Amino acid sequence: MNKEMTNFVNGKIVNIPEVATIEEIRDEIREVKTFYMSIDNKDIWQNFKFKSGQFIMCTVFGAGEFAVSLPPSPENDRFHITVRTVGKVTGALHALKPGDKVGIRGPFGNGFPFEDFKGKNLIYVAGGIGLIPLRSSIVHVLQHKKDFGRVLVLHGARTPDDLMYKENLKQWQGFEGFETYITVDVPTPGWTGETGFVHTLFDKANLPIENTVAFVCGPPVMFNTVIAELMKRGLGDECIYSTLERHMKCGVGKCQHCAVGRTLVCTDGPVYTFRQIKTLGEVI
Amino acid sequence: MFLIRKSEVLRLAEELSKEYEVYGPMIEKSSGQTFFEKAGDISDVNLMAPIPSTPPKIVVFPQIERIVSYKHDRQKNAVSIDPDYRVTPKALFGLRPCDLAGILCLDRFFLGQEFIDEFYRSHRRKMFIVTNTCVAPFKQCFCVCTDSGPSAAEGYDLNLTDLGDEYLVEAGSDAGKALAERLGLQAAGAEHLAEKKLRVDRSIAMFEDIAVDSKAWISRVMNRVTTGFIREEVWEYIGNQCFECGACTFVCPSCSCFNVVDVKDPACDGCADRLRSWDSCSYEGYSRMAGGHNPRKPVEDRRNKRFFCKLSYSQMKKYLRPGCVGCGRCAWVCPGDIGLPNVVTYIRREITE
Repeated sequence: MNKEMTNFVNGKIVNIPEVATIEEIRDEIREVKTFYMSIDNKDIWQNFKFKSGQFIMCTVFGAGEFAVSLPPSPENDRFHITVRTVGKVTGALHALKPGDKVGIRGPFGNGFPFEDFKGKNLIYVAGGIGLIPLRSSIVHVLQHKKDFGRVLVLHGARTPDDLMYKENLKQWQGFEGFETYITVDVPTPGWTGETGFVHTLFDKANLPIENTVAFVCGPPVMFNTVIAELMKRGLGDECIYSTLERHMKCGVGKCQHCAVGRTLVCTDGPVYTFRQIKTLGEVI
Repeated sequence: MFLIRKSEVLRLAEELSKEYEVYGPMIEKSSGQTFFEKAGDISDVNLMAPIPSTPPKIVVFPQIERIVSYKHDRQKNAVSIDPDYRVTPKALFGLRPCDLAGILCLDRFFLGQEFIDEFYRSHRRKMFIVTNTCVAPFKQCFCVCTDSGPSAAEGYDLNLTDLGDEYLVEAGSDAGKALAERLGLQAAGAEHLAEKKLRVDRSIAMFEDIAVDSKAWISRVMNRVTTGFIREEVWEYIGNQCFECGACTFVCPSCSCFNVVDVKDPACDGCADRLRSWDSCSYEGYSRMAGGHNPRKPVEDRRNKRFFCKLSYSQMKKYLRPGCVGCGRCAWVCPGDIGLPNVVTYIRREITE
């Protein structure tokens, strides 16, 4: 049986992982690394296309498979994943070195509906490593800035050492029309920036509300505070987007581990509006 | 339509065994329980046996199976990945209509959604199905309430109905018709079909006494489960009785949640078999993520997930029928007495009181 025939469908690697090679590994913050990689099969690699907000299933050979969001922009960006070591499989991934092999299935999930965002102001609110799944969308917008209104990136982390993608943040700050605000909960000696939770930046940022879409990603407690604050300021629940994280085994709507309400995060998500999230009847 | 004498009905299975591995209901001598298993000896297959203890879904969706094996040669830095698509021609002989309905649910779920599950498909390829009409229900049955019996309507190659001295043999596919003709079975007439209808009607009438509580309430309860108008206390009451043993999901003909693990080869560092095995939404660890965050905590939250799967319109859209097939096995095995008919009763009480 020709594996590609049944396994690579509509640009997606469905059942059997494709072998990929890790090209470079960068330390981001404590316990978080970025892995640059490419799929070995050239035909599949050329046809491997994804959208902002989608995810892949990554196999670490001998350890298992995990779901991970895609931080690169779909265009003109080096393919990579950014992973925090939280368990057995991500721990095994962190032990790998450049040149080592991993497996990739996907891309899966719905992604952000960018067509709906044209001409609008965009607010990105990211807590800690919540910036990882939003990075793809941010870079995509940076590449197409003229299609959007004001673009604000608000990033909060526990300490200055926990700020994600520091190099990117610096680049984005210098990019015309991009407004980047950063804060930390707990300052360290030498920190001259803002202190406080990420929603305390809202006033300083003079947050737009009319014709605006917000993207929120971060730990549950931050998520709830930020959403409440955004809605208090008048943003509708249908204008607030987030990507949900769930335990996943198959990524293709079969194992049911990621069932939330009547939806599956892997095929109906992971991108939801807050209006949808409210109907799911489950905690974030 | 054909007829076959009762004493000769296993000729069909014998003929099938030339081409297929034959699975059928057999009574285990030591326990007296019925199991639906591969028949080493066709004469062990027993069409009069009660509904099997475990659903025949184990043939198309095994409790545990290898889906992929991979070898990582660290020295050469090369990986080979081999999927395990096992296509063995199999015949399911004497399947009860509820269990066929369960397999049709699995078909629509694994094959009819956005992605096709190739591992499931390899089991379903080259399969021959012979169903057996239930001319009398068993005591836990309520298939009349879930539109899945006592007589199969679709999805079989041959359907058998006990008419007393002989079986009515109805062909549901070209392959079924060809088999009946190959064996030179006698043709059946309109009177035999009328006799079948009589016996099916009689069987349905017998449900009056056994499916009392759940009967006619399933659709009202489905409405409630779908719209979410069920008080938290009802789910709490149900959840409080759940032992989180997972038995209901394992005996359910339409439950299909699975877990995937890579089991390492101790002799080879990067080599493993990727196994998938039945999982249950009642387990606490089912939705727990690496790092310990678990969005589904209380047991009643997990319980209502399962009944949402069995009794909701949104799930019906995936299965094109209710997720519950009325076999009653969950009621049979549940140590907490919250099999599906009882859950229907608890929700019904809330509606009526």
